[in-house]
Parts: sequence; C-alpha cells; structure tokens
Amino acid sequence: MQHVIEVVEHRGGQTRKVTFELATQARQLADKLGGTAHAVVLGNGAAQLAENLKTYPLDIVHVAEDPDVDLFLIDPTIDYVESVARATGPSVILLPNTMYGRDVASRLVARLDAGMAADVTAFEIESGRVACVAPKLGGVTITTCAFKDTEYGVVTARPNAFPAQSGGKGARVEQIAKPQSKPYVMRVENEVEEASGELGLEEAPVVVSGGRGLGGPEPFATLLKPLADALGGAVGASRAAADAGWVPYSLQIGQTGKTVSPNLYIAVGISGAIQHKVGMRSAGTIVAINKDASAPIAEFSDLVVVGDAFSIIPELTKLIEAEKG
Amino acid sequence: MKIVVTVKVVPDLTAPKSIDPATKRLVRTGMESQLNPYDEYALEAALQLKERLGGDTTVTLLSMIPETSKETLRKALAMGADEAVVLSDNALVGADVSVTARSLAAALKKIGYDLVICGGLSDDGSTGGVPGAIAEHLGVPALTNARHLEIESNAVKAQRETDTGYQVVSCPLPALVSVTMAVGEPRYASLKGIMGAKKKTLAVLSAADAGIDAKPKTELLRFAPPPARVKARVVEAADGPSGARAIFDFLRERKLV
Repeated sequence: MQHVIEVVEHRGGQTRKVTFELATQARQLADKLGGTAHAVVLGNGAAQLAENLKTYPLDIVHVAEDPDVDLFLIDPTIDYVESVARATGPSVILLPNTMYGRDVASRLVARLDAGMAADVTAFEIESGRVACVAPKLGGVTITTCAFKDTEYGVVTARPNAFPAQSGGKGARVEQIAKPQSKPYVMRVENEVEEASGELGLEEAPVVVSGGRGLGGPEPFATLLKPLADALGGAVGASRAAADAGWVPYSLQIGQTGKTVSPNLYIAVGISGAIQHKVGMRSAGTIVAINKDASAPIAEFSDLVVVGDAFSIIPELTKLIEAEKG
Repeated sequence: MKIVVTVKVVPDLTAPKSIDPATKRLVRTGMESQLNPYDEYALEAALQLKERLGGDTTVTLLSMIPETSKETLRKALAMGADEAVVLSDNALVGADVSVTARSLAAALKKIGYDLVICGGLSDDGSTGGVPGAIAEHLGVPALTNARHLEIESNAVKAQRETDTGYQVVSCPLPALVSVTMAVGEPRYASLKGIMGAKKKTLAVLSAADAGIDAKPKTELLRFAPPPARVKARVVEAADGPSGARAIFDFLRERKLV
C-alpha cells in the first residue's frame, strides 16, 4: 500500500469540512508511504468542486461529472472508484465515516478484496504497513489494526478527528473514462427533503442534543435549534426523544443511532444512559444541562449545569450571538 | 419468497467487558450475549413483509457465531423467524469484515435467498462494512439504509434514509437491503412464539460445508483504554442568566466560542 485515494462526499458540488480534513490526511499519509495523494469527485457539481480541491495538497483530482452517479444508487460510484484504484495501484482509500462513506467502503471491501477499518481517528505506519487507530465496543477500547495480505485498505475516518490545511502546489485535474459496466438497476426515483440545509450530524463540529427532559417536540425547534445555529452546529437527540416521536430517528445519537465526536457536545435534559453514552463519549468537550445533579451524564461530562434549560438556553444563545457580533 | 436475515450475537452493551491480552479478543465467557440490536430491526422488517405478503414467504436467520452461542437465536425464532442456519467453524474465529462478508455470502449461495435483510451496523465492531460487501460478492443490488420496504412484482421498493430526508429507490430481486430503526420497533416474542421456537430447526453449517476459504485482511496489533475524562465541574444555576454565564465562560475558557 503506497498511495492514498480520498473519495469525496458531496451534493451537487457542496461539501463539508471532512472532505478537506481527508485531503490533508491523504497528503500526510502518502508522504509517509512514499506515494501519491489522490481525490475522486463524482457526479453533478464534481468539476467545480475539483477546482476548489486544487488548493489542497493533492497530486491528482480525478473527476467524472456523469449524471448516472446521481441517477442511480452507489453502483456507478463503485465502478469509478475501482477504476481509479486499479490504475493507481496498491492504496489506502479514505472515506468519511458517514452513511455515504460506510456504503462506499462496504462495497469496495469486496470489489477490491480489501481490508476495512472504520471510524478511524489516527494512522500509524509500522514496518511499512498502514495501521489504523479506532475506538471499538462503544468506545470501551481503542484498537490499532494493521492491513495485511491485501493491496487495498479501505478506511472510514471520523469527521473532526484530523486537521484541514490548504496549501501545496496545486493538484492536476484528470477526467476519469466511463467504466464498462452492467446496466445499473438501482434507480433513484424520487428525492424528498425533510430537513433541508441541515448540517450532517456525524460531521457537525458542535452538537446540541435534547432528551426526555425537554418534554415535547417544540423545544427542539425553539430552544435547541437557535443555540445550534449560533454555535454553527447541528441538533441531535436521545433515543427517548426519538421513540416519543419528537424528532426523526435520523437525529438519534447512541446505540442503534449515530455516533458523533464533535468538538463540543451540549446535552440538554438527557440522563446519559449507556445507550446514549456510546454514541457521544468521545466528543471533545461535553456540557450537560440537567435538573438532576445525580444523572449519569454527570459522570462523563466536563461541565454540569444544574438548572432549568428553558431559562438557561435562550440566555446562552444571546451571549453567543453577542460574542459573534 | 425466501427472506434471509443476517444476525450477529454481540456482547450486552451494559455488561462489563475485558479483552484477553494473549488472543487480543473479547473475553466472551460469563458475559451476557444478545442479538445485535440493529439486526432485530432487520428481523422486524422481514416479519412485516412476511405478514403482508403471506403465502409461502419464509424468514430464515443466518448467523456466523460460535456454536455455543446458537441458543441466543431462539429469541429471534420466538419473534417469528421460521428457521435458523448457524455458520460456525474454528477457522472463522477472529473474522474481520472481509472474512465475515465472504463467509456469509458463501452460506447464502448455499442456502438460497430471494431477499437478504441486514442491520446497518453491529453493536461491537460498528464498521457497517458487511452488508454491502455481501451484496457485492453475491452480485446483487445493495439497497442500504431503508426505512420502509415494499415488494412489488419481483422488485423491492424502498424509502432510503439520507442526511436530509429520504430517497425512493427500487431494484429487482434477488437483492440485499439494510434497514434503519425507522422500520419499526422490534416485536416482543409471544408465549406461543417462545413455545414454538423450541421446535424450530437450528441447523449448523461448517466453513467446509459452505465452501469458505477466506483469510483476514486486517490484524489487531494492540488495544488500550480510552483517555480518561477529568471529573466534571458542577455549577448550580440559580436562574437562566447565571447558568448561561457559567456555560459561556467555560466555553470561552476552552476556546470554543
């Protein structure tokens, strides 16, 4: 394994910070391995995004602005990435640890007969082999796994775990030729937006999350959303809130929901059961606002404010907005 | 129609865990095992389809677990699955994503299927890598993250969850789908189900039976406990403004605002 290929997640050319984190990491890892750093950008908006990526220290940005990529689910993407991977040679393939990243990684494991490491937070090179550091068992243990007996290692990397730094001499943009394929069968017939413009929960640098203590659906919109917006973050929820139907399951954090690792996690009216803890325990800073000082969340928070969230949060939102000016 | 649901047996999240330094594997003795919670949603989705489709629709469980754990599958049989196939072999101990997907795909070819339903992740490994890799090995469509499924004239039609809503996607059978928890809360086993489960078939398949010859592509080098968090600062907030100020000052101290 010598080269590094980042597969870029985007929608119509709009992408998130993790894309630039992985571009930066691709360069660093490629330098350690003595190889080259690549990105693959596919589908509607790819050409424009490739131009933006040129300011990051990549060697080649491979582009295919092919409508099939968006008309059909995932299959065209896998064909394009395979084509770049085979042409490039033994490599680490970097994806964000998101729904998209896991989907692509999962297929590539079989297509390239590759090893896979998920939710990776750091890389190490040991005797020339690439090793990945990742939490397992709900964060109970931090494992280091090396790839072996394979030319390809597929990695989903945790958003917010790596720095993003632009620079470099400017990547070359290359068009990918359309791969030969069977006819694609998973046609996307319709796309429905339920929460348009929301920041992806798994990638948000700040998450403001609500639980049973909020008592209903309204505070998620009237209390948490303005605070999340002021902090540039996203709204999440505990399972109790999702089960009660106050928010969609896509916002649920913890076991059977999403795992997040933002720089800042604010838990509002969440007791902190183990099922929630496993989804957020590795956040940088954890602030809990709770009426009950003895709630389990206090055991793994950095700051616990015992009080009434309904009076605290609007004031906090005002302070943060005033600070921003 | 034959629906096969892949299920994993995982350690109970709330049970204390340890890892054997010699084998670098989870110590499984004395620790309560349970069905992977994500797979219970896959089974629920399968049972809903069986109820809607009726006729000769069957639900088979497929699990790659040590033979000693196979009784854990009785719960899934009690929920309403018709039979279980356990893929169990010493050669498969310590399987990674690559080996697991290859092995389950080989077993699926052996037992036959029209629709494979998977949970999105496992509670312990949490790679999410297995469903798509199985589909790729089988050469069937992988319709992932479905929150609602319908079968219409030999095709699956699904609402597929995205970050901002959902997509409507369909594909012909045979196919593999993975589901999210929005498919519906897994049902409880009825007393009749529990009694009936005792009589259901729980067949064991070896790696050789399934024609599996797979080697891991990853190797665990070491593991360590997560970094400890220092004890929380606790502030009693008399009113909204003082609570807000305490948080704001703390965030500023940590350069988060």
